[in-house]
Amino acid sequence: MTKETLDKILKIVLIVGVFTLPIWMSSPTYLQILILLFFYAYLTTSWNLVGGWAGVLPLGHSAYVGIGAYTSTILFMHYGLSPWIGMLAGGVLAAIVGTIIGIPTLKLRGAYFALATMAFGEGVRVFVENTDKLGPFVLNGPRGICIPLSESFWNFQFMSKVPYYYIILIMLCTALFVTWYMSRIRIGYYLNAGGEEPEAAEALGVNVAKYKVIAMAISCFMTGLAGTFYAQLALYFYPKAILGLDFSFEIAFIALIGGRGTLAGPVLGALILRPVSDFSRIYFSSFLPGLHLVIYGLVLILVMIYQPRGIQEPLNKFYNWILDKATGNIEKKGVKS
Amino acid sequence: MDFIIQAIVSGTLMGSIYGLAALGLTLIFGVIKVINFAHGSCLMVGMYAAYWVVMLTGVNPYLALIVVVPLLFFFGYFLQDIVIKPVLEAQSDVREPTEVIIVTSGVWYILDNITLMIFGAEYRVVQTSITGKAFEIGEIIVSTPKLYGLIATVIVSVALVWFLKYTKMGKAIRAASLDREAASLMGINQYRVYNIAFGIGTAIMGVVGCVLIPFYYVFPTVGVIFDVKCFIIVVLGGLGSIPGALLGGVIIGLIESIGAQFMTSTWTELIVYLVFLAVLFVKPAGLFGEKRDW
Amino acid sequence: MAKLEIKNVSKHFGGLKAVDQVDLSIEEGQIFGLIGPNGAGKSTLFNCVAGVYPPTYGQVFFKGDDITAMKPWDICKRRIARTFQLVKPFKMKTVLYNTMVGSYIRSTNPAEVRDMALDVLEKMHLADKKDLLAKNLTIADRKRLELARAMATNPEMLLLDECMAGLRPNEVDEILDVIRGIRDSGVTIFVIEHIMRAIMALSDRIAVIHFGEKIVEGTPQEVSTDERVIKAYLGDGYVATGN
Repeated sequence: MTKETLDKILKIVLIVGVFTLPIWMSSPTYLQILILLFFYAYLTTSWNLVGGWAGVLPLGHSAYVGIGAYTSTILFMHYGLSPWIGMLAGGVLAAIVGTIIGIPTLKLRGAYFALATMAFGEGVRVFVENTDKLGPFVLNGPRGICIPLSESFWNFQFMSKVPYYYIILIMLCTALFVTWYMSRIRIGYYLNAGGEEPEAAEALGVNVAKYKVIAMAISCFMTGLAGTFYAQLALYFYPKAILGLDFSFEIAFIALIGGRGTLAGPVLGALILRPVSDFSRIYFSSFLPGLHLVIYGLVLILVMIYQPRGIQEPLNKFYNWILDKATGNIEKKGVKS
Repeated sequence: MDFIIQAIVSGTLMGSIYGLAALGLTLIFGVIKVINFAHGSCLMVGMYAAYWVVMLTGVNPYLALIVVVPLLFFFGYFLQDIVIKPVLEAQSDVREPTEVIIVTSGVWYILDNITLMIFGAEYRVVQTSITGKAFEIGEIIVSTPKLYGLIATVIVSVALVWFLKYTKMGKAIRAASLDREAASLMGINQYRVYNIAFGIGTAIMGVVGCVLIPFYYVFPTVGVIFDVKCFIIVVLGGLGSIPGALLGGVIIGLIESIGAQFMTSTWTELIVYLVFLAVLFVKPAGLFGEKRDW
Repeated sequence: MAKLEIKNVSKHFGGLKAVDQVDLSIEEGQIFGLIGPNGAGKSTLFNCVAGVYPPTYGQVFFKGDDITAMKPWDICKRRIARTFQLVKPFKMKTVLYNTMVGSYIRSTNPAEVRDMALDVLEKMHLADKKDLLAKNLTIADRKRLELARAMATNPEMLLLDECMAGLRPNEVDEILDVIRGIRDSGVTIFVIEHIMRAIMALSDRIAVIHFGEKIVEGTPQEVSTDERVIKAYLGDGYVATGN
């Protein structure tokens, strides 16, 4: 068996496994953990379009999650509009807001962009926390919104966790596909080039700021969709949970630890960090609150010092090594292929 | 009219303390070109240090400076040396290494949450001899500990400017901030300069910590409040600018205190964010910043 | 009609006149050299043409069209390409990737763009290094990549900013051949250079600027014997002893 076939077989097994998982694992608790894992992987993949490729550091993406969640929920509660349509509306609104914020800020360099997005994210949180009613729409300030129960596909509400599992899985696959596709066409090349050496890219005909804004709009659109998903999954959300610094930072951390600007990085980052945070929250939160954040911080620093391209790089090497070893290729290609 | 004057006085006093806190951040940015996201956490460390010195020895909080400031200096010095330097070295050919922002936010998470694990989430207050003291000038009430804050700000700023202008180390710091390659060619050990600049930046947070504890709660995430304020202040004043940091601090202090006369404090917070975004959009270099290709 | 016409261009930074009322006219198919001592304003003039910043006064025409103060990417779309004195490769990307970024201005079809980029790399003798990361290249190869990337945009005119600085003599000769080859394929070249030997051998016509002003323009022979040029480069003393 050649290395390539083994690689293909393993990938097919993985895909089949992930898609059939709910059949042989029915525990809603574990399913919920997986759903959240995919949710974070999806968010981070969306973030990565700007934060990874365009070479800037957005630290306010929670704002777009919030925009998505509030938009679809308000449309559902006031006009009975299906959250499926509300989801698109939220995504479009998030993209519009992202564009408005992006046009002036994406011209700024590193530190300024990070601070501006962060301030914007915090501004949105403060605004929502202080607003009980926005015009005719109820926001309930810090108390958040509870979505009335009425299970149906059209209402994006399900008793079982399984539909949620498949929805977020498909969203994640779509996001990964979009990222992969974009990386192979002009916009991907231009974003990467502009992120790394803006002057050189401009001299080669790239309007760097314009492409960054496009990336921001796509990223914010996808992030907005995630907001609706979260709202429909939890059926209750409040500003502290989906808006604010911690959430924004967590998305960025996962991307950076996983591997910024890579396809697998966000997924691997979520795969490794989410369980850390879930389990330490479950087992240590009573006597060591905040332990998982200490672990996050430590992992982050160590990764930045020793693997600035993220853990996807050593994992990739390891995977290749396993493949070589399993197919007996080791003498021909060497360990470090 | 009195309540407006009162608000201006209180706002200026509190704003000068914000300005002092932002001074450390702007100094570090000016030299290393990195936003220290752990800046608020350093303040938190400074406040806990001051809190425990006062609690354990019962000394006047301003006497605690003798212990707290050197402590914070070495804390910052080694933080830069051990944690940040390796990343800076690895990214030495990158003009503005965003990786360092990430590392400092990692430090932020670690410091805040270790403090949470050790001391718990409760708000701590320390009764000092000047807690709650105030005096009146006409109708205007002036809080004594905040007035000391203003005095500390003036002393520290003057000392810092003098240090940067007239000492050998200060000149080296300024040289390194202008051009890190050229400075290292001139025989300046840039990383030692960074360590010292970082040490001074956090030592200033020690001063702020001592100034704050007579009238401010101490709790693990207290830094975040100041973190975000400091970011806004330094961008408002111009990243890297010392007068900008002080003026920006006073502006934020005034917005808060005058705004509080007309609305709840959470709305003034929102106004601060709006002002910040407006400045970024209109004059991204800030009030005192040089025009650069940001 | 001249290919590139610089009319009365000045660039002031605050009180400093980095470029002062310079006129230049470059004909189709020429290699035009611009020399001058350090800090004479060569790069500033270049940047005014390339759109990095607008000139304070004056105009730049390309094939008769006013391109003054256009953005760098628009100038590139008008088929003027440039290289940087301090090369700026996309370090974490391969040589082919770097070149494809340039080719994408000509097409949106990835396969087509890839072929165009490979074609350019072949001409630049970089094809065997196409899968190396740019950060792993030698200085000479980085300079070559910088040229390849610019050529990938299929320019009519090429602006070269000290593309020989820091190279060994034999590497300089190699790159001179490459540049002549580019000219022979019909590209007009405007080159700033510090190495006198190289630019004398290369250029059809040379202009000298000093303290922001053009002091001489002519053939290499005319320029190399001009007293003002020697003065500018070596100082007054040398001229006196020479006489």
